[in-house]
Amino acid sequence: MTSHALLGRPQPASAKQAKPRSRLHLPGRRSGYVYIAPFFIVFLAFSVYPWIDTAWMSLHDVRLSTYDERTWVGLGNYTDLLTNSYFWNAFFNTFTLGVISTVPQLCMALGLAHLLNYKLRGRTFFRVGMLMPFATSLAAATVIFVQLFDPDIGLINWVLTHVFQLPAVNWVDSKWPAQIAISTICTWRWVGYNALIYLAALQAIDTHLYEAASVDGASRWRQFLHVTLPGLRPTIVFTIVVSTIGAAQMFGEPLLYDPSGQPMGGSENQYQTLALLMYQQGWSNDRLGLAAATAWTMFLIIVVAVSVNLLVARKRRMLS
Amino acid sequence: MTTTAATAATPAPRTAAGRRKVHDPMRGGPISYVLVILITLVSVFPLYYTAVMASHTNAEMAARVPPLLPNASIFDNLRKAFELAPLNLGLINSVIVASSVTLGTVAFCTLAGFAFAKLRFRGRNALLGFCVLTMMVPMQMGVVPLYILMSRAGLAGHLQAVILPTLVTAFGVFFMRQYIASAVPDDLLDAGYMDGASTLQTFWHVVVPAARPAMAVLAMLTFLTAWNDFFWPIIVLSSQNPTIQVSFQSLATGYAPQQSIVMAGTLYGTIPVLVAFAFLGKHIVGGIMQGAVKG
Amino acid sequence: MGSRPLVRSMLALAALLAGVSACTSGGQTASSKVTLEGPCGTKKDATVTVGLFGTFGFQENGMWKEYKKRCPNITIKQNQVTASGDYWTRLKTRLASGSGLDDVVAIEQGFVADVVQNHADEFVNMQTVPQAAALKKDYYGWKWKQATTPDGKSTVGLGTDIGPEAICYRSDLLDKAGMGATPEELAQKWTTWDSFIKFGKQYKAATNGKAFLDSAQSVFSTAVYQGKRAYSDEQGQPDLEHSDGVKTAWKYATQAAEAGITAKLAQFSDAWNQAFSSGKFAAIACPTWMMPYIQSQAGPAYAGKWAVAPGLPGGYSNWGGSFLGVPAAADQKAAAVALVTWLSEKDQQVKMWTSKAQGGHFPSNDKAVQDPAVADATSAYFSDAPVGQIFGGIAGKMKTLPPVGIYDTQIGTVLSTQLSNVEKRGTDPDKAYAKAMDQIQQITG
Repeated sequence: MTSHALLGRPQPASAKQAKPRSRLHLPGRRSGYVYIAPFFIVFLAFSVYPWIDTAWMSLHDVRLSTYDERTWVGLGNYTDLLTNSYFWNAFFNTFTLGVISTVPQLCMALGLAHLLNYKLRGRTFFRVGMLMPFATSLAAATVIFVQLFDPDIGLINWVLTHVFQLPAVNWVDSKWPAQIAISTICTWRWVGYNALIYLAALQAIDTHLYEAASVDGASRWRQFLHVTLPGLRPTIVFTIVVSTIGAAQMFGEPLLYDPSGQPMGGSENQYQTLALLMYQQGWSNDRLGLAAATAWTMFLIIVVAVSVNLLVARKRRMLS
Repeated sequence: MTTTAATAATPAPRTAAGRRKVHDPMRGGPISYVLVILITLVSVFPLYYTAVMASHTNAEMAARVPPLLPNASIFDNLRKAFELAPLNLGLINSVIVASSVTLGTVAFCTLAGFAFAKLRFRGRNALLGFCVLTMMVPMQMGVVPLYILMSRAGLAGHLQAVILPTLVTAFGVFFMRQYIASAVPDDLLDAGYMDGASTLQTFWHVVVPAARPAMAVLAMLTFLTAWNDFFWPIIVLSSQNPTIQVSFQSLATGYAPQQSIVMAGTLYGTIPVLVAFAFLGKHIVGGIMQGAVKG
Repeated sequence: MGSRPLVRSMLALAALLAGVSACTSGGQTASSKVTLEGPCGTKKDATVTVGLFGTFGFQENGMWKEYKKRCPNITIKQNQVTASGDYWTRLKTRLASGSGLDDVVAIEQGFVADVVQNHADEFVNMQTVPQAAALKKDYYGWKWKQATTPDGKSTVGLGTDIGPEAICYRSDLLDKAGMGATPEELAQKWTTWDSFIKFGKQYKAATNGKAFLDSAQSVFSTAVYQGKRAYSDEQGQPDLEHSDGVKTAWKYATQAAEAGITAKLAQFSDAWNQAFSSGKFAAIACPTWMMPYIQSQAGPAYAGKWAVAPGLPGGYSNWGGSFLGVPAAADQKAAAVALVTWLSEKDQQVKMWTSKAQGGHFPSNDKAVQDPAVADATSAYFSDAPVGQIFGGIAGKMKTLPPVGIYDTQIGTVLSTQLSNVEKRGTDPDKAYAKAMDQIQQITG
């Protein structure tokens, strides 16, 4: 096989030859259920059941303090929500924070995985090192980032003003700087995680493809474009879906970033995400019914966001 | 077109494909090293700074030039942390929780992932779709019904209450399904079936070895997530029988808690993970590498 | 471990399959009355669990060790959650499910009204406990009332501490500004909020624009409890429209903010903590529990640079304080009641404030405040201020306090956030107030 064909026509590294075949024996007609049973039993009991209960809750006016005294309000909580400026504010914040944290994060993760796939001295050390953010407690890490971004005493503003002679930035109170700071924490925390997922998938790409490409004189960049990327396509789709979901549920970083420790996402709610709003409604304000409605609205929003992402990914694949 | 200057001293000669290579295209150049070292430094810094904060009082950290080095008072602070919280019990409990969750997730999700990827059964796509959909439900909301469920079952305060809800994840199933679908060729499975192997045998002898990299990654990610989880554990456990994250709750005490003690405890709670990485990292990462399916 | 985890897991599944619905028992079947055997509540060996949030110092002050000497058959285990809000979430979840409750639970003043209104029948009524009821006459009346139902029939917990307020200040900074004076003279200059803010402006002028106060919050959270009403009416329902406290507090706090005499720091943030030594501000509203806080944040190098003025603008005020209650469903009800009663007695209350390790819990009981150990206490760190007299004097003036309500904590948070917007962003006070009202609507529903 020639490397030209490979470079010209990107294809997943394996399993793409699944040619349609007529099978007499289709495995798994019954056993399929056995394989998924352990998962589904535990899952139904401890994840799905609470969610169903939450859905029921969202149709009531219910507070934790008076948990047994529920009043049926039908879709009242949902109509409240859609006419609620806090909801829409959180909705747009979630969107912008999601974009500025996932896009750079996944790009960097791809690059890092590509780097770590090379034979480097001590690459095990580096591979373990990049997972450190994920091993570090989020609370401890945020304390440190909050200090770094502190408008008055933080290192980042010190560098901006002293080294680059730029004006200081209010990383806490101004909307966009605060969102950038939070997305920095997210990116820092999740790049290694995604890189590891990519790295595992890279193992399924035949190294001969790189050799062939290299022999053909393809630069590293072209190797990345024409061997790495196509080979990773299913995994990239996977990480896009997972990161979209993760971003839509972003919670810990903006909560810990707020100096007041409250789930309001800044004094003007300038970085309050939907998950934070839900937490505030449910736990701080004790309006469980409204919070449950927010949770289920979030669910619908995420379904739409993921579908859009998948559609775009599919369309791009068709175009290329 | 040439290779970038950074990659090799001698450009790859244009010879016929299949010839023995002159230089290994998989070898990293100096730029790779610089980048990787930088990223590693950024990754490790907060952990290092945790050690610095664990060595200094609040007042010392407030100095005009904040300290950059840890010192011996970290041990004194750690001793104080031990007086305040049952950190070792927390560690043991966390090891139990994180290991059970990891084992459960990897085993159940690999099984289900295999079924979704390679078996044909009625409702397969619908069930997989359902699985992926549930990933999108925010977790924090289920807490109240879940607590009531756990307390009815007599599990509140017990480790099982933390283990059970995270024993499987939709993420794990989706992840394993995606990997197995692309990394295990159907031909390989068909060959097995033709030899009369059952699906279980095929699973064990073909799928598991091929899926090892993904299983290793899932294990590592699951372990770390379980280790650092605290929202649900704080609600359902108590400081009498805590996971490590719950035991930290006893560190900030009195009207004027010392951050150094909290940080010393936090650092202590990260050590087992670091040790596991140091000793097992090679094997885990190695496992990721060796499991690769050639072809 | 054996097969127990498995059995329990199966039980959990069985409970689900049996169709567990969300309705709960709430533990109402348990009696809110209790009989005690001897001073320890029980003669048998017992383990009493105590649920606390971060600000208690019972263990650090050796209270558990001391109790072990008194009651060798009782073992105390404490369950702590650092943040009061997280603790409250945990407690509420447990109250809703009626299980998993500790034998003794701490209740913060900001949440006590919720317990009184919604969970009174789930707690031992302290009025039915002879030793506890006897303590009533020594308690500050308002403190006892906060934990009592409006009909006066049931009291859900005994008070641990209160937070009478004075002003703590950096005498060295005032000296440097040429405004130094004795604590008494300063207290004279600071009798009203108007004169206090005026003093702040003078300080700012004398120091080339340095901030006098830590935050506008310092003014607000103090002044809001100086009216007839704070956030709620006598029934414990939120009512800001008729609150004189909120109006005055908002007025003075925004005045201080707009005059630029505050350092614009978020209270309890890292930057705020560091400012106790950095000199970013010179004065702060100071409930007694703030003293150990300042000491620990500023460190020994600032001993003698901090001082306490014997007075408070606008008269007197209280900030914070907690209660200890015993759930009716507690396993060790009798032993728990005995422990709570003991902790509320004079000697223990005295020790909790005078302790070197974790002092700060000012007694909520008058007898303890009269005790020489409290009354004659001075603080070397705060320039030998007669802190016992100062805070005891303020506590003595507090005859009645505004009623507490079910959403006090949440409403207070909203108002202080909007206040910080006036302070930091220059938001128009009226607009900020309107925004706050809108957000409070989100809470009250």
